[in-house]
Amino acid sequence: MATKAFNAFEMAQTQFDHTADQLSLDQATRDLLRFPLREYTISIPVRMDNGSFHVFRGFRVQHNDARGPGKGGIRFHPMETLDTVRALSMWMTWKCGVVDIPLGGSKGGVICDPHNLSMREQEQICRGWIRQIAGEVGPLQDVPAPDVMTNAQHMLWMLDEYETITRKKYPGMITGKPVGMGGSLGRTEATGFGVIFTVREALREMNIKPANTTASVQGFGNVAQYAIRLYNQLGGKVVAVAYWDQKDQIARTVRKSEGVNLDELLGITDRFGGIEKDKATGLGYEILDGEAWIEQEVDILIPAAMENQITAENVGRISKKVKLIAEGANGPTTPEADKVIAERGIFVLPDLLANAGGVTCSYFEQVQCNMNYFWEKDEVLGKLDVKMTSAYLGVSELARKRKLYMRDAAYVISVSRVAQACHDRGWV
Amino acid sequence: MDKPHTELDKLLHSLHERAKELNCLYQIEEILRDYESDIEDIIFGIIKAVPAGWQYPEVCRCRITYEKRQFYPPEFSETEWTIASDIRVLDSVLGKIEIFYIKEMPETEFGMFLPEEIHLLETIADRLGSYIQHQSLSRIRQDLERAKDKKQIQQRAEWEFVVDLLERTDQEFYFKIARKLLNMLCRSGISEANTLIKRLGSDFSSEIRAGVLGENQPQSKDPNVDLVLLSREILKLASEHMRSSEILGHVQDWMQEERASFLIKAISNPASSLAEIISAVRRFVHMSPEKIDLPDFVRKGIRVSLLHRTISDDLNYIRHAKEYIDLYEFHKLLSKLIYPSNSRGRLGGKSAGLFLASAILKDHSDEKPVLKGIKTPKTWYVTSDAQLNFMHYNNLDEIPDQKYKDIAQIRQEYPHIIQLFKNSNFPPEMVQGIAMALDDFGDKPLVVRSSSLLEDRSGSAFSGKYKSLFVANQGTKAQRMNALMDAIAEVYSSTFGPDPIEYRAERGLLDFYEEMSIMIQEVVGSRVGKYFLPSYAGVAFSNNEFRWSPRINREDGLLRIVPGLGTRAVDRLSDDYPVLLAPGQPGLHVNVTADEIMRYSPQKIDVINLEENRFETLDVVDFLKECGDDLPAVEKMISLVRLDHLQKPPLMGVDFNADPFVITFRPLIEETNFVERIYSVLETLQTAMETPVDIEFASDGKDFYLLQCRPQNALPGDRPAPIPVDLPDSAYLFTADRYVSNGSVPEITHVVYIEPEAYGELESLKDLHDVGRAVGELNKLLPKRQFILMGPGRWGSRGDIKLGVNVTYSEINNTAVLIEIARRTGKYLPDLSFGTHFFQDLVEASIRYLPLYPDEPGIKFNESFLLNSDNILTELLPHYKHLEKAIRVIDVPANTHGKVLKVFMNADLDQAVGVLSQPSGQPIVKPELHKPLFHHEEEKQSPDHWQWRLAMAERIARNINPDEFGVEAMWVFGSTKNGTAGPSSDIDLLLRFRGNDEQKKSLLQWMKGWSLCLDELNYLRTGYRSSGLLDVHLLTDDDIANQTSFAIKIGAITDSARELPMGPE
Repeated sequence: MATKAFNAFEMAQTQFDHTADQLSLDQATRDLLRFPLREYTISIPVRMDNGSFHVFRGFRVQHNDARGPGKGGIRFHPMETLDTVRALSMWMTWKCGVVDIPLGGSKGGVICDPHNLSMREQEQICRGWIRQIAGEVGPLQDVPAPDVMTNAQHMLWMLDEYETITRKKYPGMITGKPVGMGGSLGRTEATGFGVIFTVREALREMNIKPANTTASVQGFGNVAQYAIRLYNQLGGKVVAVAYWDQKDQIARTVRKSEGVNLDELLGITDRFGGIEKDKATGLGYEILDGEAWIEQEVDILIPAAMENQITAENVGRISKKVKLIAEGANGPTTPEADKVIAERGIFVLPDLLANAGGVTCSYFEQVQCNMNYFWEKDEVLGKLDVKMTSAYLGVSELARKRKLYMRDAAYVISVSRVAQACHDRGWV
Repeated sequence: MDKPHTELDKLLHSLHERAKELNCLYQIEEILRDYESDIEDIIFGIIKAVPAGWQYPEVCRCRITYEKRQFYPPEFSETEWTIASDIRVLDSVLGKIEIFYIKEMPETEFGMFLPEEIHLLETIADRLGSYIQHQSLSRIRQDLERAKDKKQIQQRAEWEFVVDLLERTDQEFYFKIARKLLNMLCRSGISEANTLIKRLGSDFSSEIRAGVLGENQPQSKDPNVDLVLLSREILKLASEHMRSSEILGHVQDWMQEERASFLIKAISNPASSLAEIISAVRRFVHMSPEKIDLPDFVRKGIRVSLLHRTISDDLNYIRHAKEYIDLYEFHKLLSKLIYPSNSRGRLGGKSAGLFLASAILKDHSDEKPVLKGIKTPKTWYVTSDAQLNFMHYNNLDEIPDQKYKDIAQIRQEYPHIIQLFKNSNFPPEMVQGIAMALDDFGDKPLVVRSSSLLEDRSGSAFSGKYKSLFVANQGTKAQRMNALMDAIAEVYSSTFGPDPIEYRAERGLLDFYEEMSIMIQEVVGSRVGKYFLPSYAGVAFSNNEFRWSPRINREDGLLRIVPGLGTRAVDRLSDDYPVLLAPGQPGLHVNVTADEIMRYSPQKIDVINLEENRFETLDVVDFLKECGDDLPAVEKMISLVRLDHLQKPPLMGVDFNADPFVITFRPLIEETNFVERIYSVLETLQTAMETPVDIEFASDGKDFYLLQCRPQNALPGDRPAPIPVDLPDSAYLFTADRYVSNGSVPEITHVVYIEPEAYGELESLKDLHDVGRAVGELNKLLPKRQFILMGPGRWGSRGDIKLGVNVTYSEINNTAVLIEIARRTGKYLPDLSFGTHFFQDLVEASIRYLPLYPDEPGIKFNESFLLNSDNILTELLPHYKHLEKAIRVIDVPANTHGKVLKVFMNADLDQAVGVLSQPSGQPIVKPELHKPLFHHEEEKQSPDHWQWRLAMAERIARNINPDEFGVEAMWVFGSTKNGTAGPSSDIDLLLRFRGNDEQKKSLLQWMKGWSLCLDELNYLRTGYRSSGLLDVHLLTDDDIANQTSFAIKIGAITDSARELPMGPE
């Protein structure tokens, strides 16, 4: 069997090649952007709680920093590979490019399983990672952030180690910190609001008043909840919400044709976005199966739960009424389903663009840290609106002009911005 | 005196009575302190002081009889309203002390005299007895001093003075010492001693003969004369052969021993009742408030007898307990005993374990300061024979034979037996005992626990088989009495419940005469709002059988801790999670990300509602919002939830209504000595008892209480399984020798094998995801808990899908075993997940987890069976045909001529095997008696479950009217057809239906009736209840033509459905 195993980095390169073809990029630029600029592989010796030593492998991959300091998370994963980190660093480059923030793409990680590590040991890994790589990261070089199995606590350890080494305060060296410790307000809302900012602009271009639209949302976590809130504020009506019922281990959809009441639902929702079924029935909601959200007679679908939710099997169930799909989650649409959606002419706000509110807010965190002056929440969200709106306009204008599918347009605009920066710097 | 009216009056009254008693005792102590006074003055002093301690002093008179003389106050007359107590010195009664009321006074529930008054009188008698003894001993001492003064000491050894004095003061004891010395000389092989013993022997026997045979036999001589002479000879002989310091040492030991002789007599006499034993222990303790230095062997002898008589006859238990439990501990325990008159009962396993454990911890607290301050809740005990007494009193004597009835009948009758017991009355002496206990407890909530004698027999873990009931203990004393007696009666009735009887029958313990003792224990905790609860509670095990990281050793132990009552930690709950911790490795958490921690945190809390007088389960968040501020130590139990991480609660305190929080116990674990203490408790108990233990504990936020301790005896399904050996290689599917937990799954019919290489070669992300979805569909289709999942790397990995099949818990929740395979690639051995992504779900649902390392030396892995057996994936799920290289679904019996896969896992040996073998009936390992082999469900599984189901299915088919219902054909499939049905299995029926809607409706109605009836019958047979036993699937012609839905079962190559003949024969 001459098959090639699935490889995330190869897949990212294929995606890039497709975009590069659309842009007719020259070979040198392709060669530059197909691979990271720099890769660091480091060893982190840690004295374990039982006194023994264990050496952990760590990575930092800086895919491209032509547009500004690198930006990207640090993953703690037991089977981390360099290829995965490479692929994710490239994805970060495009993500920063599409919202036009002056940052490049990076990613890092450590091969470890936090389930097998005490907090003290994890702290030693964080500090050891910084000690090995302090010269290559920093507010003006490369800015790490939390990712898989790392959180604000890890970021604070890393920041502290960095500042100890440099003997200076650099809160902008890392993002994802708690509010009050160099974190930014508005981070909770950023992704969900960002989705709706782009939805609003898309509707404006379609000449549809948000107040005349209805939507169906998959997911009821952080992103979905804030998306619904802002959409409601615009006058839109969400008629169905799909959620995961932890107790019954099954997905369900709640529906109310006159529109769900967000605060009412939040009152009967647990901390994981699970809605209490019986109470929902009591409040007049219909309980449907987990896939029912996709077949609702609405104008807008917002998949905001997890990847691979719109598939070749269920794409046919999307109502003829649907005009817009806004991808709040990462990769909710499989390539097969994507083709069908493109053929049907449904307008898609691709994940790269629609859920870029998160990375934009991280950028704001870094900006605030660098000037050591922190904005009020309104100011953060106001600036987010400006960024997301102009990002949307850039992508949609390109799509219109070049007759591109929105997903392709998002990649094209992003890659072209990065390529342009490389040209301007005289790299290629 | 006015009669008390209100509750407050009653309280003041009883306080006043207590104060009077104490005053009286103080006065008597004052009198007895005067050693110079004459004995008569002392006696008159007591006679004068005593009445003040009684309820009605003005009519109370005291009379003391001493050495046949009577002493009494003026204006004395003997009446019928009296109590008395003997004055004893050593083992003999020298007199008595009596209290009279000279006129009739009102009676309470206890009679005219209060129990405290009876106790007070006994105390006074004891004190007077020991005073008299002290006086006579000091006379001896004075003689000795005088003798020393005369300087004779230089010529004679010290021991000779003592013996001389004894000869003059206590001849009987003098002879005893001589005899003991003689025995000693004989043992050392002194020949003269043997001659002496012959003479002594004949003399003693002649003495006895004289007693027995009376006047018919001539008395040869006055034995006393001879004995004195003989004794002198013995002493002389002793002085020639032994050092005088040696003799003195022995004589001193024997004198001490003599002081305990009455106690030894009482406890070693099998005929003495519990009351007599208790009285002897009490007297001994009163006589010598400071610990007497008894010779080691005497002390142990006493301990062993007491343990045997009052606690447990388990030799292993006694062997350990005798090292730790001293007489003073017994005295404390026995003062809280409720027992019928003439009781010879014991306390049973649970009480025994706690009693020993607390003594062990106390003993070791000097060397391990962390063990200091560990408490046990106040407990009263009801002896085991009280149950029999209770049944006797209510003419329920035939009830114990209940156990020989048919199990269905037992189950049917059980609810009535509960009612019968609850409506029965307790004998008066028990009512009195319970009332005393209740006075001692006050209105603190109580838990009534069973402590059965069968629990002693290690090997049969009766945990949870008998009831434990909580009693809120609120209201008037009468209400509280009734509630407590009601609870005791209900616990009694649980001996006759179907589950314990069935369990005993399976273990050959049915004929054991089961008696149940009861522990009435104060619930640890505090009042919070209208609730009562401990701040936190839980269970801990010496051995960790659920390791979530390869770094955790079995010896690191396991802790399950919950907020509120520990009930939620003891039982496995499918919808809630205790916080898990390995006390030896507290840094390694099961859950790491904030999301995991929140998902697997306790969501509910068990409490006692004092206003409603009942046990309740509340939502923990609602509860803490309502009254979190009042819960002691709550700041040690929670973490605050921030966007992506958890934070310590702020120093200023938590606003439960504003701050999102989660129960983590992190501060308790990280900032206090709690974990160190638990670990030390487990280690100390395990070392002392020479077996792994499990304990229950609780804390009121301030103190740590030990509630229970017993040998760690895993749940039936979690016991180490015997590992079959010497099987041919072809019998093995796999072996494992690392990170193995306990358990056995003996009846696996299907294996889902994700072939690691083919999985790794899947090209598209969609295919990789589809593997997970296909597993999810197989999970619903394959027989529940009869298939296993084997796959590469990390099941449920949420990161890189290449590392393992991406599934959620709902997609694997019917598997029996989840196996992760680590194939070596080059020199690199990948890490496995240990099921971390749904570890706690697996634990709570008893799904086994096993890591396999097929490439390691010495490991068997029958890859060719997995690769070459028929793959039925496409038959079951045609739409996943493209994955048939990666997913192999193997019907085990179809590929092995009817064999099944059995998985045995043994953590003690760190070994597990999967073997292909004949289904039960011909077990490859012969289960040894008392060494349970099988899984709990399997224990109840007997071949007739499927036979009965098949017979019922056939009967339905015979009874159906095909024309009336439009049914063309009927099949049975699944566990009923495969002969693997267990007690809770349903009956899967397929019906080919060609009728109209009306017929369909009445057919389903008819089937539903059958389903409910069969469910009821099955419940009576097995104790399992569901909402119906039939699982009916209607197939249309289209289904059959297209082979959709269950139609694939018809005529399938493997696991096909079996057609049932319809209509009357």
